[in-house]
Amino acid sequence: MDNKRRQFLKSGLVVGGVGTFAAGYASTTKHMVHGLIEGTSGEKTKHPHFGNSLDPEFKVNQQGRLIANPDQRVAPSMCFGCWSLCGVRVRVDNNSDEILRISGNPYHPLSNEHQLPFDTPVKEAYLSLTGEAGLKGRSTACARGNGMLEIRNSPYRITQPLKRVGKRGEGKWQPISYEQLLTEVVEGGDLFGEGHVDGLRAIRDVNTPLDSENPEYGPKANQLLMTNAGNEGRDDIFKRFAFNSFGTRNFGHHGSYCGYAFRAGSGALMNDLKKFAHVKPDIEHAEFILYIGMSPAQAGNPFKRQARQLATARTRDNFEYQVISPTLPSSMSLASGDNNRWQSIKPGTDSALVLGMIQWMFDNNRLNDRFLSQPGPNAMQHAGTAHWCNATHLVISDAQHPRFGAFLRASEVGLTFEGKPLSDSDPYVIVDADSNALGLHTQTAPAQLFVDRTIEGPNGDIRVKSSLQQLKEATFKHELSFYSEQCGIETNKIIALADKFTSHGTKAVVDTHGGNMHSNGFYNAFSILMLNALIGNINLKGGAMAKAGGYPTSGKGPRYDFTQFEGKVQPKGIFLSRSKFPYEKTSEYKRRVAAGESPYPTRSPWYPISSPLLTEHLSAAIDGYPYRLKAWINHMANPLYGVPGLANLLGDKLKDPKELPLIVSVDAFINETTALSDYIVPDTVTYESWGMTSPWHGVPTKAVTARWPIVEARTTKTADGRSINLENFLIDTAKMMALPGFGDNAIADAKGKLHGLHSAEDFYLRSAANLAYAANGVPQACGEDVYWSGLERLLPDMKRVLTSEELGKVAYIFARGGRFEDAEKSYQGEQMKHKWSKPLAIWNEKVGTSRNTITGEYYSGCPTWHPQKMADGTPLDEQYPKSQWPFTLSNFKSNIHSAVSNLSPRLNSIKGVNPVYINPVDADKHGLSTGDIFTITTPSSSIEAIALIVDGVTPGTLGFEHGFGHKELGERAHWIGDTQQPVKMKTSDGVNINDLGLTDPTRQGKGVLLDWVVGSAARQALPAKISVG
Amino acid sequence: MDKSKRRLIGSIGAISAGAVIAPISSANASATVIIRNNEAADRKGMVGKRYAMLVDLRKCVGCQACTIGCSIENQAPIGQFRTTVKQYEVTLDNGSTEAKNVTSFMLPRLCNHCENPPCVAVCPVQATFQREDGIVMVDNERCVACAYCVQACPYDARFINEETLTADKCTFCAHRIEEGLLPACVETCVGGARVIGDIKDLGSEISLLMAKHRQEIKVLKPEAGTQPHVFYISLDNQFVSNVEGKAAIYDPKGDRA
Repeated sequence: MDNKRRQFLKSGLVVGGVGTFAAGYASTTKHMVHGLIEGTSGEKTKHPHFGNSLDPEFKVNQQGRLIANPDQRVAPSMCFGCWSLCGVRVRVDNNSDEILRISGNPYHPLSNEHQLPFDTPVKEAYLSLTGEAGLKGRSTACARGNGMLEIRNSPYRITQPLKRVGKRGEGKWQPISYEQLLTEVVEGGDLFGEGHVDGLRAIRDVNTPLDSENPEYGPKANQLLMTNAGNEGRDDIFKRFAFNSFGTRNFGHHGSYCGYAFRAGSGALMNDLKKFAHVKPDIEHAEFILYIGMSPAQAGNPFKRQARQLATARTRDNFEYQVISPTLPSSMSLASGDNNRWQSIKPGTDSALVLGMIQWMFDNNRLNDRFLSQPGPNAMQHAGTAHWCNATHLVISDAQHPRFGAFLRASEVGLTFEGKPLSDSDPYVIVDADSNALGLHTQTAPAQLFVDRTIEGPNGDIRVKSSLQQLKEATFKHELSFYSEQCGIETNKIIALADKFTSHGTKAVVDTHGGNMHSNGFYNAFSILMLNALIGNINLKGGAMAKAGGYPTSGKGPRYDFTQFEGKVQPKGIFLSRSKFPYEKTSEYKRRVAAGESPYPTRSPWYPISSPLLTEHLSAAIDGYPYRLKAWINHMANPLYGVPGLANLLGDKLKDPKELPLIVSVDAFINETTALSDYIVPDTVTYESWGMTSPWHGVPTKAVTARWPIVEARTTKTADGRSINLENFLIDTAKMMALPGFGDNAIADAKGKLHGLHSAEDFYLRSAANLAYAANGVPQACGEDVYWSGLERLLPDMKRVLTSEELGKVAYIFARGGRFEDAEKSYQGEQMKHKWSKPLAIWNEKVGTSRNTITGEYYSGCPTWHPQKMADGTPLDEQYPKSQWPFTLSNFKSNIHSAVSNLSPRLNSIKGVNPVYINPVDADKHGLSTGDIFTITTPSSSIEAIALIVDGVTPGTLGFEHGFGHKELGERAHWIGDTQQPVKMKTSDGVNINDLGLTDPTRQGKGVLLDWVVGSAARQALPAKISVG
Repeated sequence: MDKSKRRLIGSIGAISAGAVIAPISSANASATVIIRNNEAADRKGMVGKRYAMLVDLRKCVGCQACTIGCSIENQAPIGQFRTTVKQYEVTLDNGSTEAKNVTSFMLPRLCNHCENPPCVAVCPVQATFQREDGIVMVDNERCVACAYCVQACPYDARFINEETLTADKCTFCAHRIEEGLLPACVETCVGGARVIGDIKDLGSEISLLMAKHRQEIKVLKPEAGTQPHVFYISLDNQFVSNVEGKAAIYDPKGDRA
């Protein structure tokens, strides 16, 4: 074997340090003689039998009573090991303030199958976790949930304000005082000896347009971009600063490179292009679940709850599931027998599979006609269905019509309506099922499903088709054999799957998730989720459930109104990422039309239906289209790790201060993105910080996780003794700039009395008061609740900020780690209690009336086969032919790691690298063995990886496990003053698929390959080739 | 799919469930001839009980929460584990031209707290002992780290702790069980697969589950005669005695199985 063919197993054993028997045995022989005389020759253990195991946090005495260990406390907190954000319980050493171990919060629906009733006293809740009762009552933390406590004392943690020394990105920093940090960030100056840099004060101008030729771009204040990783419970104060105090329009988070194509595709179906809602299967009562491009129990959100429910469900007699994905996930279970099956698929072709299924369903009358034919809420009530949709609404289908793609309204055909024409009160037109006559969607009777006719209107004939007719035609654009060829699944299997899916009434569900991050991810997700609509399972027990949501916190609540304050700014202008705002309303469009030229293509795509996109913000700023940035404040977001191709495209540009003059990061660690900062503000970690979050989804009952500092922050303190963290940085910056909404008189209570906002406590304790009083309020906590939950340490702040009545109620929720509706409230009879109310969109009007600004073509308003595309519409396969790029890359979430968990040495000791999956057929062709190093090349980049040959990957596909391949977060030892961080002994952190991401050459303004409709990252199904040696 | 057509790697004869269960009762009868090294008063444990673990493999999701939870609770050196979960890819090939069916199999491993523990007998300094409640322990003050027990264990459940330089292994979290708490691995088992309890208490959850699933329960390497007390529901026959599969998804360190 030559040295290029290193064995994977060998390197696997080396990673993370010694741990092999051989190593242990070698030291054994050396110490043995010594040991024979004196007993153990190693470090003496704490206890002769129990070794160094932790002392128990409490004990149950003979009478079954819980007895506390006075040296420990168990407090509720929130895990941030991934984006599930589970409620956890944390054991803390009272003497050292060290976190000992973490498990699940028994009140929390993300950590339990059925959370404890909320009114259970804390002591009783802890008792329910012990002994025999504890087996059923167990509340868990996953591997990350357990391991992430290690971040608190990580040697890579940043605890003091830092300013870069030398060039941006060099990894050299000097500690500076908090006061110097604030002054330099606010006032600017010649900060680095590289010339003048504008500070935040100079940038904040909420009146002067940043570009007088394009006034719609908004004021100069928009040249500050504020990003965070996402809402880990601290969004509200961050957005308050960005939007309403500083007044920039530009806020972004990781969504666009997480699972946004899925969210957007779901939003299209759910008729919700504002919040992009989605549904999740009611796993407990479903009979068949089809998972496409996701891997429940391996990853997903919520990871743990979904895993536990699936684990239970597959022991039932009446439950089956299938997973369709390019790589075999640990969702599958040999032990559970034949009730689960993995089906491999070619990456990026999910909608071909689904459209094939739908075609068969049309042909074989397998649609839920009763659900689909109810045209509105009145008909729904009359028919007794749990929901309704727009299947019967008529779409204007004449390409020459000015309202092409829109729904025909009563006012357009002389039917009765109220208010203004084409307003919300102008009903949709349908064809009545019985009479065949035109009717309104407000009628109580069903409407015709399939309509294709020309209607006489006052201004001439209008060709209309029902939404379902549109879908049918879109589905039949291709033969089943074509779809089969696209996805690599035989036609008989597609039919069998469609048959299976439609054989369980409304107790079948399809689910998908962030796996849809292809350049055609939007239409893949829209298509997949359409299956739920066609069987009408929405809002039904055993079907697809809506998000239950939470309770008010730092918004407008029963005790305090955070939404209004004197001098509040309403941000204005076009998002930097060219999202939401229709290009057709810009000055540029008007100028081009006036000049007699085609308004298309634009320099870079506009995204008429999208949220702000961090996949576009930075490339837009560097390219200056629509405008450039002057400063960027980033809280933990890591687009250079997470956006495929971005580090490659912009890494060097961002190192040049001329391109983006001021970068300030707030983070407890230095990641691939914050490494490019000018300043780093140290931040608290989750156990030390405040936050209010709701489960992302998958919980049928209302829930808000309320976390509070259960241990002291390890960051340095401000002069007045507060911990340096995100909130205090925002507050102090705002106060220095005299921005509205912070400092004195910033928060109004229900009686209009104003209160100060000078610390994180001022903000979150009042948010907690809202939470505690919402929905009829909670009782007062008892002394035992406070004692058992370790809340005592917070009492001084609570007494300072809250009224005594508020204090008791806030203590009640903080002792339980949040506010949670009881599990028994999940259902109302055969329906979910919390329902989705907007009609499902078989045809999405907004999508169907919007245009791609590169081609000028309309998007399809319903699921339609679109192969992967470049920004200009060129199919990816044409741009990068299979003959040159025979492989396709696929990325899957790890069951161990998230994008930040490599900071835990214990997690790394389980899995420290991620060999790339390759099918034996491909491995044979290239002479690859497991453990070999090989090169993977895409049109934009190249990396070396370790091969792992498995049957569980589609031939022609390379499978990447996510969360590896870091170049920062401890992989590089930065210099802080004259001290270097420890250098890791690990030789490799594995590979990151995003380092292979593509630049899109078909767009004029440089950017990475994105979904061609919504601009989400394209990390799946990338073209590649491999070489060995 | 016809289960009888499943082929994995090699074909190992299955020991019937009945044969596995039987020794539990017979073991007590023969206890007198088995060396337990538990004469000292502090080595009795919870007299009158017999602790065992039952793992419902259908519920194991391979998340490794137990691995990390245990490692923190018991402060094992990083990279050395008292419990692990092996993750296998299994290819089921029914021999026809039909495409292969590929699936996953998870196997949590830990000390089996055998009724006939080979590790106890080989200890030259009586450091390893078995309590009356069945829990096999190591006296860290006596252990000289000769590693005979490490070698003797057919389950690779032991290692020499590189910090304490003593033999180290799962204790069923005896320090927690004695206080009425659950072991770390059980407490944090996301799928709810791990169940611990006193099998002499017929009303305990583990006793009820074992009675309910009597026909499906297996142990690892029954032929070794160790009478293991970690029981599995839905342990595929191919894994009973030969814990191997195609390239494990990863290779946990400190576990040579």
